[in-house]
Amino acid sequence: MDLEQELYQALTRKDPPPGFADRVAAREHNRHGGLPTRWLAFAASVVLLMGAGAAWRQHQGEVAKDQVMTAMKITAVKLNRIQTHVREIRQ
Amino acid sequence: MKKLALLLAAAGLLAAQQFKLNLDHLATKASNAVDLSLAGPTLRLAARFLDTSDPDEAKVKKLLNGLEGIYIRHFTFKRDGEWTQSDAEGVRVQLKAPEWSRVVGYKSTEEGENADIYIRTQNDKISGVAILYTGAREFTVVNISGAIDLDSLADLSGHLGLPKLEQLPGKPIRKLD
Repeated sequence: MDLEQELYQALTRKDPPPGFADRVAAREHNRHGGLPTRWLAFAASVVLLMGAGAAWRQHQGEVAKDQVMTAMKITAVKLNRIQTHVREIRQ
Repeated sequence: MKKLALLLAAAGLLAAQQFKLNLDHLATKASNAVDLSLAGPTLRLAARFLDTSDPDEAKVKKLLNGLEGIYIRHFTFKRDGEWTQSDAEGVRVQLKAPEWSRVVGYKSTEEGENADIYIRTQNDKISGVAILYTGAREFTVVNISGAIDLDSLADLSGHLGLPKLEQLPGKPIRKLD
C-alpha cells in the first residue's frame, strides 16, 4: 500500500460505530455526578429564589418594624406633650 | 380577581381602622406628612423583628400584643392656618358616645394648641384610642385599634428618648384582661 492510498483511507469520512452518541451522553452524565445539567440549573435557581425570598421577607420585616417604631414615637411625643400641658394646668 | 382582592383588603383596613381619616388634602399643603396605616399582619410581622433585648423595642413589642391596627396622619406646615377647624371637626364628629368617650381635652390659646384623647370601649373593655393633636402648624391624628394596655401606652412616654411622666389624667389607667 502506497502512501497515497494510506492517506486516502485515513482521511475518508466514516460513520461513528453504533452506540457512539449514547456512550458520549453517558460519559457526560457521569461527569456531573449522576445529575443532568438541567437539574443542576434548576436546583441553583431554587436556591437563588429561596435566598431572594428570605432577603425580601427580612426587608419587609425591617420596614414594618421601622414604621411601627415611627408610629409609636409620634404617639409617645403627643402623649408626652399632652401630659406636660395637663400637668402645668393642674399646677 | 385582582379587584376582589383589593376590595377585600380595603374592607379589612376599614374594619380595623375605627374612624375615617379624610385628610389627604392636607398632605399637599404640608411641609412634612406622615401617613401610616399599619394593619394587624404588618404589626405581627414587625413584632417578630423587634429586639426584646432593647428596652424601647421590648416596650413596643409588649404594646403590640393584641393590637389590630395603628393609623396615623401627621402633618407639619411652614405657615399658620393651613388646616381648618372643619378638618378637626371632621375627626371629632366621629368620636361620639356611646362608643367613644373623651378622657382628656385641653386648649391652649397662648400656644394655639388643642388636644383630645378619646377611648373606645366595648363590653367594658378598651378597644381603641384616638388622639387628636393640633397646633398652629401641626395636625396629628392617631388611632390605635385593638386591646390596648394603657399602662404600656402611658409608659411609652418614659421611653423612646422621652422623659417619664405620670399616668394619663382623666380616667384611671387600667389593664385589660
